Amino acid sequence: MFVQSLHLTQFRNYLDQSITFEQPKLILVGDNAQGKSNFLEALQLLATGRSQRANRDRELIQQGSDQGRVLAQVERREGRVELELILRATGHRTARLNGVTQPRIGNLLGQLNTVFFSSWDLDLVRGNPQQRRSWLDGILVQLEPIYAQLSDQYQQVLHQRNSLLKQIPPVPDHELALWDEQLARHGTRVIRRRRRLLTRLAPLATHWQSVISGGNETLQLSYQSRIPDQGDDPLQIEQQFREQLAQKQAAERYQGLSLVGPHRDEVEFILGETPARLYGSQGQQRTLVLALKLAELELLEQVNQQPPLLLLDDVLAELDLKRQNQLLGTIGERVQTFVTTTHLGSFERGWLKSAQVYQVNAGSLQEVS
Amino acid sequence: MYTRPLARLIDQLQRLPGIGPKTAQRLAFYLLKRPKQETLQLAQSLIDATEQIGVCRQCFTLSAEDPCDICSNPNRELSQVCVVAEPRDVIAMERTREYKGRYHVLGGLLSPMEGIGPEQLKVKELVQRVNRDEVGEVIMAINPSVEGETTILYVGKLLKPFTKVTRLASGLPMGGDLEYADEMTLARALEDRRELI
Repeated sequence: MFVQSLHLTQFRNYLDQSITFEQPKLILVGDNAQGKSNFLEALQLLATGRSQRANRDRELIQQGSDQGRVLAQVERREGRVELELILRATGHRTARLNGVTQPRIGNLLGQLNTVFFSSWDLDLVRGNPQQRRSWLDGILVQLEPIYAQLSDQYQQVLHQRNSLLKQIPPVPDHELALWDEQLARHGTRVIRRRRRLLTRLAPLATHWQSVISGGNETLQLSYQSRIPDQGDDPLQIEQQFREQLAQKQAAERYQGLSLVGPHRDEVEFILGETPARLYGSQGQQRTLVLALKLAELELLEQVNQQPPLLLLDDVLAELDLKRQNQLLGTIGERVQTFVTTTHLGSFERGWLKSAQVYQVNAGSLQEVS
Repeated sequence: MYTRPLARLIDQLQRLPGIGPKTAQRLAFYLLKRPKQETLQLAQSLIDATEQIGVCRQCFTLSAEDPCDICSNPNRELSQVCVVAEPRDVIAMERTREYKGRYHVLGGLLSPMEGIGPEQLKVKELVQRVNRDEVGEVIMAINPSVEGETTILYVGKLLKPFTKVTRLASGLPMGGDLEYADEMTLARALEDRRELI
């Protein structure tokens, strides 16, 4: 797929900026805090409904405005679509597809696919579990848009159950049991989809890992959960979920928090026999992250039968020249790629071929010839 | 800026759901522009409604009479009770003209975040009623939200020893096209699919 144009209105530090893409690569150069990443963030928002950097929509809207807008024309294999998302300071959103207001924001999902790779992701292997969970969730909402709703419902049950656990005096067991059942039911849906995703990603990631490192260690992506992995039968998973909840009940009541469920789950990357988190230089971990991102790209491409966009946010300069070349070789001119960087000098010349280059300065763009 | 009674009126209107400052101002000016008699009638109906409408002590719906029209109608089946969250859901069910039983309004849904537990709902009254009236079936007509599902689960467990408990089927809207149904509804309908008879 190819994004033909992007129009930002009162979005972050852009008052009214539109840009048309004619080349497979777009490179945004500029100092920090000039608005380079905001472009990639806008695309990520259309693809996943979420931003890696903002917790509230208010942060996404230009200061002093009460609403902002992101609009993109996307050329898909099936034809052209116009995606539009209106953000408000109140948090209320409106989604339009080809100009038609959608009853639900989720209808926008699945239309635009992106692989987002930022310098923050370099910590994916070693960073906190939350980061790995949102990595999985970010892929899932693009592959199976219904996942966004399942995950929201789970969060809703979780919040309800947590406030019940905090109640004084403590709630009677039979009342908590109701929410246990709901947590198990909704949590099982999330767990199954996450496990399924890892199963599909693993062979692709193993392949890329050996291509990049030249080694032949096998890479396992293992979903770590209190609920043991004994097959995909939902009733059985629910049952095990409830057993774990029963075991943890005293601790949960004591802490006033739900301690079992996909919100506490984790992904472990195992290279050969060793958890990659524990071993390996920074360089090896970067290789692994790059392999994971390429696997993500390949999976999205397989499923949608067209390549997603690749968004490289301040990360290219962090990769050594060999890895930069490998990445470039893989995407070629097939994958539309957006790159932000502070210096053009820090990466391979090949990246500048078939690229539009813009200088970004305080929310305005200027083409660099 | 506004003369005092007007400011008070705008302030009161603004507290209504879905009405912001601008709409409140427009409504206030509109009310004052209309013939005095009409606006006073509106005021009077507000007073009447507030003073006369209470709660039916059997089913807890809003009603000027106690028991309400439905509870006092001998033609409505005593053995079938439809459980709903709010009085407005009674109206929705009544519009179908298909239901011949009685109602029970819970007055909300379980939601620990809002401090609503079983004690805040009319659940005890429902259990008493089921036993007293020898109710043969309780139909749960409650939204399939997270809170709704939990409430259905709770009431269902409580009543199961005494009577049959059913819930409304969820699925595709009548006359709706498959392609326009949202994924959640479709997935749900798929989950609850039935064999053709």
